[in-house]
Amino acid sequence: MHEQLWFTQLLNGLFHGPVTALLRMLHIEPAFPGSPISNSAAMEVLVLLFLVGLFLLIRSRLSVEQPDGLQHITEMFVGFIGDQAHEIIGHGSEKYVGFLSALAFFILMCNLMGLVPGFESPTAVPVVPLGCALCAFFYYHVQGFRRHGISYLKHFAGPIWWLFFIMIPIEIISHLARVLSLSVRLYANMFAGDMVTFVFFSLVPIGVPVVFMGLHIGVAFLQAYIFVLLTMVYLSGAVAEEH
Amino acid sequence: MKKLSNVFMALSFLCFAVPAFAQGGEASAVNWVAITAGFSMAIASAVCGLAQAKATAAAAEGLARNPAARPGIQLALILGLALIESLALYTLVIIFAKVK
Repeated sequence: MHEQLWFTQLLNGLFHGPVTALLRMLHIEPAFPGSPISNSAAMEVLVLLFLVGLFLLIRSRLSVEQPDGLQHITEMFVGFIGDQAHEIIGHGSEKYVGFLSALAFFILMCNLMGLVPGFESPTAVPVVPLGCALCAFFYYHVQGFRRHGISYLKHFAGPIWWLFFIMIPIEIISHLARVLSLSVRLYANMFAGDMVTFVFFSLVPIGVPVVFMGLHIGVAFLQAYIFVLLTMVYLSGAVAEEH
Repeated sequence: MKKLSNVFMALSFLCFAVPAFAQGGEASAVNWVAITAGFSMAIASAVCGLAQAKATAAAAEGLARNPAARPGIQLALILGLALIESLALYTLVIIFAKVK
C-alpha cells in the first residue's frame, strides 16, 4: 500500500467501493483498487468542505449594524478582488467577482494546506493547477461569447482584418500558452517551495526550514493573487468593448 | 631559495595525478543531463534576476516621480515580476521532468 495521508486513508476506507466502480465505468483502472482516491484529490475535497463550512459560517453571522471580525475580513478580501476587477475590467465587473473570489479562496487554501503537518498542498501536483487554469480558460471564453455573441471570434483575427491567416494561429497558440503558463507558474512555485524546505530540512533540521516555510506563506498568497490577476486581465481582453 | 621551494611545491602537486596510471577500466557514465540542468537553471535564474531588477528599478523610479499613481504602478510591477519569474520556473519544471 503506497503512502497516504490520514485524511486520504479515511476517505478511501469509506468510499473506495463506489469510487473504483465509477472509475471502472469510465474505463479507467485505478493503480490501487483499494485506495483509488489520491492524496491531492482528498486534499481538494478537504479544502472544499472547509470553504463551504467557512462560507456558511460567515453567511449565518452577517449583520449590517454590528459586523464582527470574520465579516470584516471577508469584506476586505472580496472587496479587494472587487476593486482589482473594477480597475482592470472596468465597467460591469461585478458579475465576475463571484467566480474570481471563489478561485482566489480555493487556490489560497490549497497553497496554505501544505504548511500544516499531516496535509499536503494539492497544488503541488501538476494536475490541480491545470484544473484551475482550465476553469479560468473556459470561464473567460464563455464570458466573451456571452458578451459579444458569435462575433467574439473576430477578436482572434487581430487589429488588421486582412492579416487574419497569420494572426489566427498566433492567437490560438498564445491562448493555449496562457493555460500552460498559469498552471506551470502555480505548480512550480508550490513544488519548488516544498523542495527547498525538504533540502534545508535534510541539512539543518532545526530552525532553518521555518524560514523557508515563512517564505512559502508569502509565495502562497502572491501566487494566488497573480493567478486571479491574470484571469482578470484575460477576462478584460475577452469582454472589452471597442469604442 | 624561496623560488626553489615554490618550484618544489608545485612539482609535488603533480603527485595528485597518480590515479592516471590506474587501469582504464569500466568508467561510470557521466550524467550529462544533471550537469546541463545545473548550468541551465543557473543561467535562467541569473537572467531572471537581471530582468526583475530592471522592472523593480523602473517601478521604484516611477513611484518616486509620481506617488499618486501607486495603484497602477504597483499592479504593473507585481504582474511584470510574476511573468518574468514564471520564465525561470519553466526551466525548473523541465529539470524536474528530465533529470533522474
